[in-house]
Amino acid sequence: MNAPMTGLAMMPDLEPPRLVDEEPAVVVSGLTKRYGDFTAVDQVGFTAFPGEVIGVVGESGSGKSTLLRLLNLEEQPQAGTYTLGIKSCAGVNLFTLGRFESRSTRVRHIGIVYQNPHLGLHMHHTSGGNVAERLLVAGERSFHALRRRARAALDASEFPMDRIDVPPLTLSGGMQQRVQLAKAIALEPDLLLLDEPTTGLDVSVQALVLDTLKRLQRDRRITMVIVSHDLGVIRTLADRVLVMRRGAVVEAGLTDQVLGDPQHPYTQQLVHAKL
Amino acid sequence: MAYVAARGGETAIKQAECLFREALGSITEERVCEIQRSLPYLVDRVMGEASLYAPDLAALALAQSGGELSEAVLLLRAYRTTQPRIAYAAPIALDRQLTVRRISAAFKDVPGGQVLGPTLDYSHRTLKTEVLAGQPFTPTPVTPAEKPSERAPPAVAGWLRDQGLVPPADDTEQDSGDIPDLTREPVLFPAPRAHTLQALARSDTGGTLALGYASMRGYGSVHPTVNEVRLCEADVMMPHPKGGHFNAGRVRVSEAEVVSRAQVDGKPILKLGFAATLGWNEVKTIAAATLDLAMNTAGAHPANETEFVLYHTEPIESAGFCLHFKLPHYVTFQSALDVFRGGGAAADEASPEEPPDVAPDDTPVLEEALP
Amino acid sequence: MTALRDLVRPWQRYSYGFLDESAKRAVRRGLLKAIAIPGCQISYASREMPMARGWGTGGLQVSLTLVEPESVVKVIDQGADDGVNAANIRSFIARASGARTTTDTLEATLIQSRHRIPEERLTRNQLLVLQVPDPEPLRAVVPDISVARIMHADADYGLMWLKLYEQLVQAGRVTQSSSYPSLVNGRHIMSPSPIPRWDTPKLHQAENLTLLSAGREKRLYAVPPWTDVKPLEFSDVAFKVEDQTGRVCERTGATGQFMNEMPLLDGTSTFELSDAGFAEKLARRRAGEAVTIGPTYYVDGELQP
Repeated sequence: MNAPMTGLAMMPDLEPPRLVDEEPAVVVSGLTKRYGDFTAVDQVGFTAFPGEVIGVVGESGSGKSTLLRLLNLEEQPQAGTYTLGIKSCAGVNLFTLGRFESRSTRVRHIGIVYQNPHLGLHMHHTSGGNVAERLLVAGERSFHALRRRARAALDASEFPMDRIDVPPLTLSGGMQQRVQLAKAIALEPDLLLLDEPTTGLDVSVQALVLDTLKRLQRDRRITMVIVSHDLGVIRTLADRVLVMRRGAVVEAGLTDQVLGDPQHPYTQQLVHAKL
Repeated sequence: MAYVAARGGETAIKQAECLFREALGSITEERVCEIQRSLPYLVDRVMGEASLYAPDLAALALAQSGGELSEAVLLLRAYRTTQPRIAYAAPIALDRQLTVRRISAAFKDVPGGQVLGPTLDYSHRTLKTEVLAGQPFTPTPVTPAEKPSERAPPAVAGWLRDQGLVPPADDTEQDSGDIPDLTREPVLFPAPRAHTLQALARSDTGGTLALGYASMRGYGSVHPTVNEVRLCEADVMMPHPKGGHFNAGRVRVSEAEVVSRAQVDGKPILKLGFAATLGWNEVKTIAAATLDLAMNTAGAHPANETEFVLYHTEPIESAGFCLHFKLPHYVTFQSALDVFRGGGAAADEASPEEPPDVAPDDTPVLEEALP
Repeated sequence: MTALRDLVRPWQRYSYGFLDESAKRAVRRGLLKAIAIPGCQISYASREMPMARGWGTGGLQVSLTLVEPESVVKVIDQGADDGVNAANIRSFIARASGARTTTDTLEATLIQSRHRIPEERLTRNQLLVLQVPDPEPLRAVVPDISVARIMHADADYGLMWLKLYEQLVQAGRVTQSSSYPSLVNGRHIMSPSPIPRWDTPKLHQAENLTLLSAGREKRLYAVPPWTDVKPLEFSDVAFKVEDQTGRVCERTGATGQFMNEMPLLDGTSTFELSDAGFAEKLARRRAGEAVTIGPTYYVDGELQP
């Protein structure tokens, strides 16, 4: 992470110095997912501190998206533990939760933005409704509060307010990603998962969405895991990076270090391919 | 006669029924026998959809309903459901039954031969109008073949299996009484295969054809080749209280087997679709066998959904529900009118954006929580 | 010597109450489950009845299972005892059971109804059987019952609430008219059958047992006595029943109850009580007869506690 800014005048936009004994926000260890004979995720582990952004890079088929689905509690692994620094489940391996608690934890504490907006949105409902659904599932029963909170989340995702009652189906790809993002952050999640959030968007739109993510991360200190095959995106957002190959992490470290001076031949190949 | 006359309802329905029955006249045993004799394919269709093999009762149902098909099927079904289960007959394999017609479109010739049997498939569909002028139509007598066809030609699927073109059949012996019975328990999804095949066996001919045709025509990925269509007179073998089985008679049965290309682990294979029904009804079994395949094939067409196919080809449920819209709905309509006129819970449009102040972290927990 | 025929009951063309004993037992088992899990849809075989599917065969199977020779049966359709289908079902139940029939709600022990709950308050000694065309409240958001079953199991009702939210956003009001989805016992969302919103609050903490049965869709569910039934509503957008303000029953002069509206040639409307048995009693009382009229759920359009 950034070095502590000791000795400088108060700079509200920069995060305060981190205490060494701060509790981690996410701890994952030994995560393994197999489909038949095929191992999609092999002994993956990492720790993320509050507000930290972990980037996951690798070619398609390297297990990045499976890892994200596991972190979103959509699938059960064959082995591994996963804890979030949340009061209700402190120290609990989330994979041991029952069906209902698991869903409730996913809704309440984890947000996700999929590469394919069809996976994350009801295309025929309004954009505001898509965000409101999350709040409804969490038990918000005031219509006016739903409107206000959906509006706030969409606003934070820099979604144009005059489109709030328009269904995502008729919106551009970039706007659809903003609706997904608003839905994901509506409940102020403890962990935000981003699966190739800008892939497939025009370069200019990509930059705008990245700006929004960057600003959100800075303002709200949301812990994020971002999966991308685009090293530019990772470089912009991630503090630390995991390099995955055939389901396993082959290299991990500070983003600048790993991408600037790759040690593993596979990482070197990835970095050079991008140059 | 008023639709809902004060105190008039009972008289009205009685007289409405009288009108219908009077128009049909008296129903005699002769009339029922004549229907059974002259309309065997219609009787078969009713028996198949009612899943009750009783030609005399089916003919009676047709006589009573004046040939209103969904009424006739309903009559027979309502009778069937009151009948006790005395015993379960032994399963029948149609390649061991008296086969009167068996054709395969997949091969020019097959072991046991193409047996055309009785069919209008190759006839010129011309009306014999001379009958109406008083000249009876007398069919040309059949010339017996020099060599009669095999009594029970072997199944084409057997040959395909021997060649390894389709997976081997599951020959597990199952007690007939253990087979899930659609009429004694509701279908739940994913449906057991027994339920799927039973539902298709008693499905509506028209509905099955419509969905099957849609799938064949291209709204779906099944392009069937008719591996075998067979019309049989099958022996009903009943368990005897002292052991063994005895022959309780014969029923007319039709079956169809279609094949379509599929892939398993990237390798092309043939998949079999199967359907059978009581009575001779070729168009339904071919369509149903196609649906049997389609239901097991991923795709966006409704015919790819077992739930969609089985629910919407049920003859008496679909007809009954369609007809129920004739019943008065004026209370529900009154309720809807209230909404059109501005009733119903309304958002306070004057101040929708003046929210009560709730702290951002004041999110209630999941409300509909399980205990 | 004992002959075999002394040991068995004489052969009859149909069983008492038409249904054979195994069919009745299946219905009773389903009902017990349904009562044990209020609002939860229980699947049952649902026999074909000598009446068209979709015409009350579900309600009929429940009524025929529960009817006894001493029962007093009332059957209504849209609130009317003399609706053609109500008349038909009533005469069938009476024929199959020998039970007496009535149009007086107070007198009835078993009431089968399509689309209405009587205006006079039902008591603990009465059974209400509602005919249900579509038991699945989630049908509008997920047509597949296999998916809906999972959503019920998970109490995953976000989409139901979203539907209400969207109605408020798009129409400014909740446009769901009858069959208003309601949360039963804080757990299952149920369709109360196509009763008007006016009747929905009558199920909440009711003294009587309400049984709901869908013959075509093969589902049973129940609202046991003293059970919460809460129509879905936002905390700041209250559920509202159909407005009956200013409507006067032409036959009885009654007000503040659910009315049928009948268009007139001059473009206006006239009204009459939808609950025909209740109207009949009011009319008789008006004519000077001594008639017992029970307490009603609503008085002058206001729901009574």
